[in-house]
Parts: sequence; C-alpha cells; structure tokens
Amino acid sequence: MSDTLNLMIGLAMGLNLLALGCSQLSTLIRVVSLQGIVLGTLTLLMESERLDWRVVLVAIALITVKGVLIPGMLRWALRAANIIEREIKSFIGFVPSLLLGAGGTIAAVAFARTLPLLPEHAGTLIVPGAIASLLTGLILLIGRAKAITQVCGYLIMENGIYLFGLLLFHSTPMLVELGILMDVTVGVFIIGIIMDRIQRAFDSLDTSKLTTLQE
Amino acid sequence: MISLLYIILRLALWLLCAPLLPGIINKVKAWVAGRRGPPLFQLYYDLAKLWRKGVVMSTLASPGFIIGPAVAWVSLTGAALLMPLGPAGSALSFRGDVLLLIYLLALARFCTVWAAMETGSAFEGMGAAREVSYAVLSEAVIMTTMLTLVIQTGSISLITMLSPSAGAGAVLLGAGLFTVLLAENCRVPFDDPNTHLELTMIHEAMLLDHSGPPLAAILHGASVKLLLFAVLLVQTVIPIGEMSAPVAYAVLAAGVLTVAVGVGLVESIMARLAFRRVPLLLTTAFLLCLFALLTAWNGGVR
Amino acid sequence: MTQGLLLLIAFAALTASICTGFRRPRLWLSLTVIGAAFGACAALWALLGTEIWDWHGGFMIGGEALHLRLDGLSALFLMLLSVVGGAGAVYSHEYWTDDSHPASAPRGRACWSALMICMGLVLTVSNGMHFLIAWELFTICSYFLITLDRERKEVRAAGWLYLVASHAGTLCLFVFFTLLETHTGSWDLGPMREHAELAPLFWLALFGFGVKAGYFPLHIWLPSAHANAPSHVSAIMSGVAIKMGIYGIVRFSGWLPMPDGAGWAVALLGVVSAVLGVAFALGQHDLKRLLAYHSVENIGIILIGLGFALVAVQQGSPLWGQLALAGALLHVWNHGLFKALLFLGAGSVLHATGTREMSRLGGLWRAMPWTAALFALGAAAISGLPPLNGFVSEWLVFLGLFDAALSHGPSAWVAVPAAILLGVTGALALACFAKVCGVVFLGAPRSAAAHAHESGLTMRVPMLVLAGLCVAIGLAPILFWPSISRAVACWCPVWTAGAPSAPLATLGAAHITLTIMVLAAAVWLWRKSRANGLRRGPTWDCGYATPTPRMQYTSASFAGIISEWFRWILIPERKVRRPRGFFPTEAFHMEHVPETVLERVITPLASIVMKVSTAVRRLQHGRLQFYILYLLIGLIALGVLVFWGRAQ
Repeated sequence: MSDTLNLMIGLAMGLNLLALGCSQLSTLIRVVSLQGIVLGTLTLLMESERLDWRVVLVAIALITVKGVLIPGMLRWALRAANIIEREIKSFIGFVPSLLLGAGGTIAAVAFARTLPLLPEHAGTLIVPGAIASLLTGLILLIGRAKAITQVCGYLIMENGIYLFGLLLFHSTPMLVELGILMDVTVGVFIIGIIMDRIQRAFDSLDTSKLTTLQE
Repeated sequence: MISLLYIILRLALWLLCAPLLPGIINKVKAWVAGRRGPPLFQLYYDLAKLWRKGVVMSTLASPGFIIGPAVAWVSLTGAALLMPLGPAGSALSFRGDVLLLIYLLALARFCTVWAAMETGSAFEGMGAAREVSYAVLSEAVIMTTMLTLVIQTGSISLITMLSPSAGAGAVLLGAGLFTVLLAENCRVPFDDPNTHLELTMIHEAMLLDHSGPPLAAILHGASVKLLLFAVLLVQTVIPIGEMSAPVAYAVLAAGVLTVAVGVGLVESIMARLAFRRVPLLLTTAFLLCLFALLTAWNGGVR
Repeated sequence: MTQGLLLLIAFAALTASICTGFRRPRLWLSLTVIGAAFGACAALWALLGTEIWDWHGGFMIGGEALHLRLDGLSALFLMLLSVVGGAGAVYSHEYWTDDSHPASAPRGRACWSALMICMGLVLTVSNGMHFLIAWELFTICSYFLITLDRERKEVRAAGWLYLVASHAGTLCLFVFFTLLETHTGSWDLGPMREHAELAPLFWLALFGFGVKAGYFPLHIWLPSAHANAPSHVSAIMSGVAIKMGIYGIVRFSGWLPMPDGAGWAVALLGVVSAVLGVAFALGQHDLKRLLAYHSVENIGIILIGLGFALVAVQQGSPLWGQLALAGALLHVWNHGLFKALLFLGAGSVLHATGTREMSRLGGLWRAMPWTAALFALGAAAISGLPPLNGFVSEWLVFLGLFDAALSHGPSAWVAVPAAILLGVTGALALACFAKVCGVVFLGAPRSAAAHAHESGLTMRVPMLVLAGLCVAIGLAPILFWPSISRAVACWCPVWTAGAPSAPLATLGAAHITLTIMVLAAAVWLWRKSRANGLRRGPTWDCGYATPTPRMQYTSASFAGIISEWFRWILIPERKVRRPRGFFPTEAFHMEHVPETVLERVITPLASIVMKVSTAVRRLQHGRLQFYILYLLIGLIALGVLVFWGRAQ
C-alpha cells in the first residue's frame, strides 16, 4: 500500500513541476485540478483500513471542490474576464523556476529524512510531498504575474498544507475540514477577482465606443 | 580471426538495419495520416542513388567539407560498435567505454558542424549554432542517464550497465531518454525532418549544400545514430540481461520497433515546438533523469 | 646525480642565452633550445627513474643554504616547461623578429630565457625563502614579456593588472611561508603532514597560488594579459605559467596536512571555473581573449580532479582518488600542449591578418592551410574529442568521479553534479570551438582576411611538434602512464606507481583503430567523390542574388543561444538600433561581454578604497605646523592610553 501511496504522491510532485513548467493558463488550471483529484483519491487510499463516512465525505468534498468546482470557476473567470493572453507572464523564467522547483523537491526529500517522524510515516513521501508543494506554490506566487496564476499557486500551496493535515487526520478532527473551508474561501476570492475585473473593464471603457465596435 | 569476422558481421548488421528505422517512422506517419507513404526501403534507394551521384562543392569549401562527413560517419559507427546488443555483448567493452561512446557522438557533432560551416552560408551557420547549443542540454541528460545506470548497477561498462533494467526509475529514465532521442535525432517537436526551407530547422539546415556520397554518409550516419539511441533506450528500460538469448533478441527488436512507431506517432500528433520552448522540454527531460538517478540512489542505500 | 648535471647544463645554457639574446638571435635560439632539451632530459630522468634528486648546496643565498630537489611532481611540470618553452622560443624567432620589433625583440629574448630559468627554479628549489625569490622573479619576468609591446595603452593596462593581481597573491604567499617558517622552525620545505596545526595555512596557499592559476573569481588578470601579450608569450603564460599556480597548490596540498573540507572547496572552485570559464569564452569575439577564458575552464577541470583526490585522501585513499589526480596531472600536460598550440595558431592568424577580431576574419584555410589544420586539431583536443589527448585526461577524471559516485558516501553527493557539469562543460567547449573554427578559418573571407598568408617554417615547426605530442598522448596513453603515476605517487605515497587502474591500453587501442578508420574513410570518401565527378559552384543562398561575406554567421550570432542562457553572469553590454520604417537606413546590433568579476566587483570595490584613501590623504598637505599638531595629538593620545591602562 505504501508503494501505491508513494506513487500517488510522486504523481502529485510531478504535477507540481508541470505546473512550474507549463506556459498555458489552461494547462495550469488542468494541472491544479488533476492534483486535487489525486489528493482526494489519496485520502481514500490512505484511510482505506478505517474507512468511515467522514473520510468518504472529505474525499468527495475535496474532489468536487478542488478537482471540479474551483478549476471550473477559474475557466469561467478566464472567459468572463476576457483574458486574451493565454500565455503566462512570469518574473522568474520557466526553466529557472523548473530548476528551482526540482531543487526544492530534492531538498524537501533530504530535509524530511532529518525530521523525527512517526515510524509509519517515515517511509512515505507525504512530508516531502507536502513541503515540495508548499515550495512550488510559493514559487508560483512569487514568480508569476497574473492573478489567476497566483490563485493556482495558492491552491498548490494549500494542497501541500492539506497533505500535512492528512497525517493528523484522526488526532485533530477539525483540521482537514478547515482545509476544505479554505478551498471554498478561494472560490469566493476568485469570484471577487472576476467581479473586480468586470467592474474595472466597464468603468474604463466608454460605452459609446462599445457600440461603435459592434458595427 | 573469428572475433574479427564477428565484428565485421556486427558492423554489417548495424549498417544494414539502420536505414530501416526512418522508413518505419515514415510509414507510421503515412498510416496515421491515411496516406500510402513512401516505401519502407526508401532511404536505401536514396542512399544508393546518392552514392552514385557527383558532388557539387561550394567554391568556399575546403576538403574538410568531404572529410567531415566521413569522420562523423566513422565515429557514429564506432559508437554503434561500443553499444551492446543484448546477449551478443559489444564489439569492444572496457571500464569507461560509456564515456567514449558519449564523446564519439560529440566528435560526430563537431565534424558535421565543421562541414556545415565550410560553406559560409547563413543558413548552415544557423543550423550549426542550434545543433551545438541544444546538444549542451542533451549532453546533460545523457550524462545523468549514464550516471543513473552506473549507480543502479555499480559498474562503468556498458554491457553490465544495460543488462538489468533501470529499476524503479525506469519509466522516468525512459521518458527522459526518449525526449533526448527526439532532440538529438532532430525529430518533431524539436526539429522537422520534412522541412528543408524554413528558418526553424536544425539538422536539415546543416546539409543544405551537401550532395552525392558525402550527403549519403551524413544521412546514413544519422540513421545509425537513431538506431543507436533506440537500442540504448530499449536496453535501459527492459531488463534484457535476465532473458534467454532468443527472447532477448526478439524483445530488443520489438522494442526498437516500438520506439520507431512511437517516434512516428509523436510526429503525427504533435507540431514542432517554438524554439524558446526547446530548453524547457530538454530541462524537463533532464529533471526526469535526475529523479530517476535519485531513485536509483535510494535503492542502493536500502 | 645525472639529473643535477643535466639541470646544471640547462641552467648554464639558458644563462648564456640571456646574455646572447640582445645581439645574437640565432645563437640565443640554439642555446635556449639546448637548455630546454637538457631540462626535458632531466625531467624525463626523474620521471622514469625511481630516486628523488635531493641536493644541498654548500653555499648560502640570502642567509639560507641552497637546497634543490626534483621529484616526480616537479619533473612533470619541468617537462611541460621545457617543451613549451623550447617550442615558443623557436616560434618567436620568426614571429617577433628584430626587423618588425627592433625595440622589444632583444628584450623579449632575454626575458624569455630568464623566465624559463625562474620557472625552473620555482620547480626545483626546496626552501621557502628561495621559493619566494624565484616566484617573484618569475612574476616580474612574465610582466616584462606581457608588456613587450608597451607602446599600446591596453598592453600597459593589462600588464599593470597582472602585476597588481600577482602581487596580491604573492602577499598571501609571503604570509604563508613566514607562518610555515615560524611553525616548523626552518625555511626548508618538505613533507610536514605531522604538524596538524598547519592545516589552515592551506587556505592561504589556495588563494596565493590561485591568483596565478586563475580559477574563477581570481581569474581577473588572465583574459587581458593573455590577449594582449605577444602570442608566443601567451602560449607560455597559458601553457606553463598558470600551471605554476597549480604546481603550488598540488605541491603544498601534498605536503601539508589538509583542513576539513579542502577537497570540497577545491572541487567546487573547479566546477565553477570550468562551467563559467567556458561560458565567458563563448561570449568573446576576440580570438585570444576567448582562448584565455578557456584556460580558466581547463584549470577548473584540473581542480576538479585535484579536489576529488583530496577528498579521497581524507576518506582513506580509495583508488578513485588516484584516477582523479592522474587525470588532473595529465590534463596539466595536455592543456599546456594544446593551449600553447592554439595560442601559436592564433598568433599566426594575428601575424597574417593583423587582427584578433574574429568577426573580421573568415575563410583563412585557403591562405593558411597548415595553421587551419593544426588549429583544428588543437580545437578538437581541447574539446575533449577522441582520439586526442584532451579526451584521455577528461576520461580519467570522469572515471574518478563515476567511481566516487559509486562509493555512495558523501563524496557521491558532489561527484554526481560534478560529473554532469563536466559533461556540460565538454559540450559547451565543443560549441565554442566549433564557433572559432567556423568563423575564423571557414566560409568566405571577411574584411581583414583578404590578404592573409601562411606563416613560415619556423613558426609551423613548433606547432607541428605540439600537435604531434597531442596526438601521441591520445593514441598511446599507456606510454605516459608511468610518468603520471610517479608524480601521483609523489603526491600521495599510498597510490604507488604501477599498472593503471583504468584500461588505458584498451583505450589507446580503440583510439588507434578509430584513427585508422577515420583516415581510411576520409580517403575513401574523397576518392569516391572525385571519381563521381566533383564540381565547384557558389554556395546555395536560398535564392538571394547578392550574398556578401558579411551575411555569414558571426561569432556573436553563433554563440547567441548559449550566451542568452548565461546572461545572468555574462551581463553583456548591448547597443542596438533596430531597422525602422519602410526604407530603413541604418541599423546595428553590437554586443560585448565584459569581464564581469573585474568590472562589477573589483572595480567598484577599488573605487570605494580609492575614495577613502583620497579622504585620508587630506591629512597630508605639507604644512609643518599641522604636522606638529598631529605629533602633539598623538602624544596626548598615548598619554591618555597609558594613564587609562594604569587605572585599570
């Protein structure tokens, strides 16, 4: 089971790097949604021995919110805000951020080894995966210009925190649920961004010009 | 005496089989596009025709214009002889032969670029500049691959390095090597072997002024290089050393065929990348191999 | 004793040649060559024999008894000195003649002999004080050689920079040797691994010798000095003089106890120098400056080998350390040979065309086929291509790194990135030399290359000799192994001289086969092409009707992709005016890669120091009254100090 688990987390870590390397906004959104789905499946997989309604609920909520709802909203935002430039604008270039992310991932694995973890967690990639996701999110937040990319970075960072939370699923009951609440907050954020953009677009544009454009 | 005969046989095998690969790729492309496509042996016909033709040399070119392709061809076949073929082993094997292989590829590159620069054409200069620049990144990937195999198997000679599979990281390594195969052999998405007259090409741009037997040497050398990478890729991923001899040969042949089909499929479904994206893809390949290396490393510690 | 005699003859011949250098060029040449030959014989004797020549002279120089020694390690460097020194002397006979340079040629000849003597002394003296004297004389001789053409302003600036940088290093060496003397109680040098407290002194040596060796952050003097010196001087500077720095580091890392982490530091410096050296080289458009940056790269490769040997020693001397060090020492020879060859080739180009600017050359193979062929051979060798010598030494270093990676210890953590980056360096060097060969020797002649002519026999023969040695080491590396392994055994006695732990004989056989095949295939293809009918026609130009030589790829455009990757450190200066409008009139794109460390770090620092010292200098204005006031203030301060101390 540990191998499958590690494979899933490895996949999530690979998606991190993909998020750093991809240059299209739509790809980035797809990557983030895929990572959400991977994490949801991971929850089920990890707690498969002690499966109860709470675990299933959390997993389903995660997959719907992170895998479907938020990406859907982001795509809608892309369309609604009329973002014509589909390319991601970046302060840190793609190759450097990819290299940074890879270095961060390696460092995370090396660092997690030095941590005093429980024996059942020591063999898995959960902690390194969590740290790597955090770092990736940070790099995206720092290195990218667009608001939508920033939301994606925030989501990936939040995925990392959730991965950490999985370790404490049973000892601190409300933590994971709080995480999902945070996702919903992100959703609200996105709506806020869209509203803002539409607002600004209509403020700055003269409606008379719009009518001439129509012809 | 026997061993000399053996080497000659092996050489003949490499030289005869190599031009088949581009034929297979073209067939696959044609099949996907719903065309009939050129015959499977088209490159053989081309080579035979070129070999009989006369040479037109640029007025600016030195004898290096013809000697360069010859040296490149020899070094590529030399590299091929170093590459083990499953249970048959390689023609010459010693500790550190993997480095000789890598640097023989570099020698071939130097000579092709030299021959390209002979003509003083801006096109060929451009192709040469791109070739050497992207080779820097491929070199890093290949070196990482080799280091992974070295760490995985604890040996520095190709025969022992390639007989088991690359372990847990085999998939990563395979993906990385496949990308390098595409880059080094100038395939889509790095280069388009079909275009001759666009500003976007690498390998074909370097050949614009070549003709006759030197062009045949270059084309044949390129096909040997493609086969070399395909064989390397297959042996890296599949534990050929653990199979019995007939099975191993069959698996090797099937693997090379699969790689060729894979290249054909990639060319059918993908477009060429924008040039500024090329380093990104090669860096990704490098990272894949790097993670394979770390996996191999972890395996060794346990 | 034979070695002593040989060295004495070499010394005498070279001393005599200093005196004859001013008036009798032919006599000078023969004496110098004789001296070099005897030096080479002595080195060969020491490398093939087993005993160490250790000679205590009865007389004192500067209050210290003369003590000379020649062991495997110093003989290795002496060999290189003799070969390159002799070759450069022959080359200069035609390159820097009395007719073309009446003022500087005699001085150049005398300085050349003096430089050879001083470097020989650095290699043989075994006394700290004498070492310092010889080192300083060597620096000064090389300064005079660099500034031979001192009418030109940039030559004077380059010489000045060299002198200042060298003395910063020498200052460290003064401290180093003095501390050594105070700890051991004598100026005599030799193995002193038992004095554990000496370990931190290695850092001083690494800096002091490093300035001469020119590894990455300390290489500031190197590009301008190598570029502006006459080419035969560049050859010996790059081939031998910077190796004196390497000699110092190798020598004292063998003799002193090593501090923790010394090996890592040296290997790290090596990796940084190797990659950045070649990156800077790619950005250059001046032929000799480019070659100078390649010296930085190759010093890096040598240091990688040395660093891993040091790591190995600290980990109980596993055998991969021997391979790494053998690779490094063989690379000392190899770099000396092919870099001297390349500089001499660049000198021939400069001699024939009068410019070092690559973008004004082109198509030189037609006018100078010998130079082009020999330069191409040197280029292939420095790019580490088989079957030449550069590959053999890089192969040894690689084997050492791979074995270190296999050891799974902490050394593997460094060996893996080092091996990958060394591979990248090789590919970058190949890109760089493909650019040089293509832009300078191939294609259509640009502006300056129209009236080029082949250099004479006296300039070609030394290049042929160097090229021959490059090929010899490549084809028969096993013949050179005994010498290398003796030097390695001198450095670390655990790795005794013996059969190589790498299959050098097989590699040599593979190289010989490859060479035969290459020659056969080249002849075959050439004859086949001739038989099929060889026609000449204009280069196909995509339908453009009036191509000019200026439309060829230049050095900057060839290296453009890679120099863009390294933009963060190269920081190129650009002047661009794009074509505008429908009928653009004037447009240009100029790019220049400055020496980043010098111009972005050292110069700003120096200007700060300059400002501070200007401020301090106001105190000194020549008014007696104020000086008396200073005295009074000083006295009062002293008094206060005394009373304050007593009160405590």
